[in-house]
Amino acid sequence: MKCYYCGAELTKDNTCPSCGAKVGTYKKIKSLSNRFYNEGLEKAGVRDMTGAVESLRQSLKLDKNNINARNLLGLIYYDTGEIVAALAEWVISKNLQPEDNLADIYIDDVRNSPSLLDNINQTIKKFNIALNYCRQDSYDLAEIQLKKVLQLNKRLVKAHLLLALLCLKNGKWDRAKIESQKALELDTGNLMARRYLKEADSMLLPGESGKLVSDVASDNDGSIRYNSGNEMIIQPVKKSAIARSSSIWGIVLGIVLGVAAACFLILPQRIQSINSNNQAKIAQISEESDSKSAQIVDYEQQIGNLKKQVEELQSQVTGYEGVDSTSAAMNSLMKATAVYFNDASDVEGIAQALEHLDLYAIDENVSDEFMELYNSLMALVGPQLATSYYNNGYDAYKLEDYETAIANLSKAYQYDNTNVNTLYYLGNSYNANGDKDKAKEIYDRVVTDFPGTQSAAAAEAKLAEINNSGN
Amino acid sequence: MINFEDELKKFKPSLEIEDAEDIIYKQDLDDMSDVIVKLLKEASQEADTAKRGK
Repeated sequence: MKCYYCGAELTKDNTCPSCGAKVGTYKKIKSLSNRFYNEGLEKAGVRDMTGAVESLRQSLKLDKNNINARNLLGLIYYDTGEIVAALAEWVISKNLQPEDNLADIYIDDVRNSPSLLDNINQTIKKFNIALNYCRQDSYDLAEIQLKKVLQLNKRLVKAHLLLALLCLKNGKWDRAKIESQKALELDTGNLMARRYLKEADSMLLPGESGKLVSDVASDNDGSIRYNSGNEMIIQPVKKSAIARSSSIWGIVLGIVLGVAAACFLILPQRIQSINSNNQAKIAQISEESDSKSAQIVDYEQQIGNLKKQVEELQSQVTGYEGVDSTSAAMNSLMKATAVYFNDASDVEGIAQALEHLDLYAIDENVSDEFMELYNSLMALVGPQLATSYYNNGYDAYKLEDYETAIANLSKAYQYDNTNVNTLYYLGNSYNANGDKDKAKEIYDRVVTDFPGTQSAAAAEAKLAEINNSGN
Repeated sequence: MINFEDELKKFKPSLEIEDAEDIIYKQDLDDMSDVIVKLLKEASQEADTAKRGK
């Protein structure tokens, strides 16, 4: 203990050893301050924060240098959510005793946690906003704000108290009781909390432990609410087996009615709509079918007309072909005549020129002058041509090359129809080549045109042979 | 029966961190010792004044 006058260390005497000042009263004051500090410490030990704060304030009024009392006061403020007041006490404590001071640790704890400081600031601002809402009669908004405040800091006693007061105002007695009890848990000596709790309790049903006045109303909704300690328990009312079975029957009946409604009300309409859609589609398809049938008939008519046109054109083409073949025959005859006049002995050249001339094909279209020229040329070179073709044909016949033989012998007979051998070997060639009908025709001509000849007799024998083999 | 308005008046806004400095500076830190010292000083001054008057 130091002298209040000179700052020297005091002894047990009531006089300062340094300046001689009388310090008896001063020592008594210090002692009294310590007594209040001890009292505050005891109250804080049983969480009577209000009482502890009063004692510690008394202690500090007596001795502002009681660092323990000041630090404890800061701790109590901190614990009840009054952070700024706590910081103020710790800063003053630090100024009064810069060395060996617990306030250093407390201040550092707060300073080293910026999120904590921010959280504290938010809490304080929200509480002040809630208080303003209350003063503006916006109790619902105030209640919401206070719930947010308590989410951030559950130890803010003032917030619990204000919320309890609001609940009392709004008739939420059970809630007011809970909040008052929470405030009392944090501060057992808080008189406001006690008064609010008493007010809330007075609204509860007397004689029914745990049941609240508000329970009476809530019983009607099929549940029982009651408090067990600080917890509110909502218990559903037990229902009898009959009541449960009736609810099941109700569900079954509802399902049956739903199905019936679907069958009698919804399904027919649905079926009707589907049928109408299908009919519309069928009508559309039949319309398309009719139009396509009409198109097909039209196309068939066009095809018929085109066929007629094709036939007409084909007949015209045939006519032109006849003209062409006639002109070709004329050209062949002219060429053969020219070869004959150049060299009468060039039988091969004449034969080559007349090779493609078919009298049977042009018979109807040629003029008399053409035939006269042809007959004249044939009279001059026919036998020579016939002999040439006959020799070639006969050689081929001997070599059993019947195709060549038939071609040459036919030409030979064309140029000279008086040689019976030509016709007979032609018949033999057809017969050997398997063309029995043509062979019979040739043999018949041999018998008819050259009667009494050996070839005619041989032809008759061949005819008989063919006829016998045919039977 | 609690009067809501009267009870509401008992609630004071919480101190915000920005206000901490003002609170510290404006806090009345005088204790009983300071009061006694002042009393003693005033008493001695009065005694001196009385002596000079005589």
